[in-house]
Amino acid sequence: MPKVSVSPPLRGPTRGEAVVEVAGASVRACLEAVDALHPGFLALVVGPDGAVHNFLKVFLNGEQVESLDGSVAEGDEVEVMAAVGGG
Amino acid sequence: MGDKLIRVDMTNLTATVEDYPEDWNLLGGRALSARILLQECDPECDPLGPDNVLVMAPGVLSGTMAPTSGRISIGGKSPLTGGIKEANAGGNPGQDLMKLGYRGIVVKGQPADPEKRYAVEVRKTGIEVVEADDTKGMWNYALIEKLGDTYGKTASFISIGPAGEMRLSGASVACTDADQERRPARQAARGGLGAVMGSKGLKYVMIDAEKAPVRKPADLKAFAGLTKSYTKEFRDGPKANVFKFGTSSVVPVANILNTFPYKNRTEGQSPDVDTLSGARIVESFETRGGGMHNCMTGCIVQCSNIVHDKDGNYKTSALEFETLTLLGANCAIASWEDVADLDRLCDEIGVDTIEMGAAIAVYMDSGGLEWGDAEGAKRILKEIAEGTELGTAIGNGALSIGKKRGHKRIPVAKGQALPAWDPRPLKATGITYCTSPMGGDHTAGLIVNPGLPPEQFAQASQESQLINAACDSSGFCQFLQPTLPEIADFYSQYCGEAVTKEQVADIGWQCLQDEWAFNERAGFTAADDDLPECIREEGVGPGGALKFDVAADVIAQAKASRFSPSDTFWDTKVTG
Repeated sequence: MPKVSVSPPLRGPTRGEAVVEVAGASVRACLEAVDALHPGFLALVVGPDGAVHNFLKVFLNGEQVESLDGSVAEGDEVEVMAAVGGG
Repeated sequence: MGDKLIRVDMTNLTATVEDYPEDWNLLGGRALSARILLQECDPECDPLGPDNVLVMAPGVLSGTMAPTSGRISIGGKSPLTGGIKEANAGGNPGQDLMKLGYRGIVVKGQPADPEKRYAVEVRKTGIEVVEADDTKGMWNYALIEKLGDTYGKTASFISIGPAGEMRLSGASVACTDADQERRPARQAARGGLGAVMGSKGLKYVMIDAEKAPVRKPADLKAFAGLTKSYTKEFRDGPKANVFKFGTSSVVPVANILNTFPYKNRTEGQSPDVDTLSGARIVESFETRGGGMHNCMTGCIVQCSNIVHDKDGNYKTSALEFETLTLLGANCAIASWEDVADLDRLCDEIGVDTIEMGAAIAVYMDSGGLEWGDAEGAKRILKEIAEGTELGTAIGNGALSIGKKRGHKRIPVAKGQALPAWDPRPLKATGITYCTSPMGGDHTAGLIVNPGLPPEQFAQASQESQLINAACDSSGFCQFLQPTLPEIADFYSQYCGEAVTKEQVADIGWQCLQDEWAFNERAGFTAADDDLPECIREEGVGPGGALKFDVAADVIAQAKASRFSPSDTFWDTKVTG
């Protein structure tokens, strides 16, 4: 199954779980599957328009993706990353 | 390596140079400051008296070709917390000191005449203490402009504004950045170390490394190779992309996590998130100019922004997440442009933007000023330099103005204002605020993981504190986000002998031990390792459900003894 890596700031809904294995044929489907297991996750990642919040980045196997509709295969890794830091 | 340590006696107005101890080779920055303070400063001394010791200590790798490694730590006993304090900054003074072979400057004593001003000049040819009465009362930008005309183009500066001269507990120490203009925009801001510098009559330090080369590591080829490969990996990896627009881009993430404090932390989210977002600053680059730059030579992160006004003229740098939060949302000030004005004023006067934002919010909360009154806030900051009663109370920090107003909601830890990252959704970070020798300071150990299981809070806090202490001793900027093994790799090539990750971790832990020991001797007890009632009793988030409800025995675990490394310890990136 594909794995979804969750950046620490977004681990509230997953209760600290860093990696969630889910079934899904696209990036969006994987994120929705995480939300099904951990309600509230999807709202952290995408806005009401269905697009990823502009302050987050989503990677598929290390490459940043602009669209969530890309295909995901068995063993792929989807990573949702949020930058944090004070200054 | 033949390094030296500069000692300045401000009572006798002399400077001497001594050999740097060989066995301190891997002590730099924060760890060096802590060691010197523990050995040479009476923890019970008056922080503004002659017995306090002011340390300026570049990190171990400052002045080398290692990327983003030029941080300098300023240390001393804090007039704000009454405990040990380290605040570090970027810019070029740390690198320039190290290029000349100086591992630090230790300033002791106090001039007989408190009205006199002095400067320390550091050159290849020697060190001098000189009179600087003609700079008395000058704001930082005008001061550096004047000094730029006086000294060579290769000089960098460490200075204080009027707040430091007035010995206010919120006073910062400014370092000039790497740009040609040498702006005093990099502030070692927290804990009132500017007041310690001011109490010694020291207005500025000038370091002129001229064209001194970067420090030569023991194994030049290996060090250069490591620098190249690390830089490539950073630039090609997600870290560079995610942090492309600096810390101001964090605003919406923080808001969603209920850690974008509004109205003196009575709420965790601000309705003004959109107008305070870093995205608005980035948009301004298009029409006004400004943009991202590196604050120190050799930085590969380039997270510092330069903000211009509507006419395209320089206004301030860097406008950071913490400043947008404390001087913006926390005061219900909705415009990032107003916050930019406030940020510039703070840098000019030489005060900490976090402490000032918290202090003004307390003043607003107690009815002294309307929420969101940006012009009123600017007026108050100017009053700091004028020495009015209100300006002085604000300049001495949130606790000072809160006590003066008889206000109960004063969000501080060990007397220091809490930064933006809120300990109610981020409880492990709250443990850092309780147990860190620094008080409320996110750079001491930030854990932005709202889902962390409670049984991991104490260990996560301790490990983050240790990792950050090691980083702040290395010279690496926290925004480079190195791991301990990565720091060990650089140390190994720098020294020409194996330095293990365990050794680097030990340096971080020993630094904390030294700092905790200092504070214990200064009179701190376990009762001080807590957060105020307003953070424990008043919640944020949905239904106000998020409160700091961590028990005292859990808090105590973070400093009671060293944990065995967790599974993620060696892979944990510095976060601050």
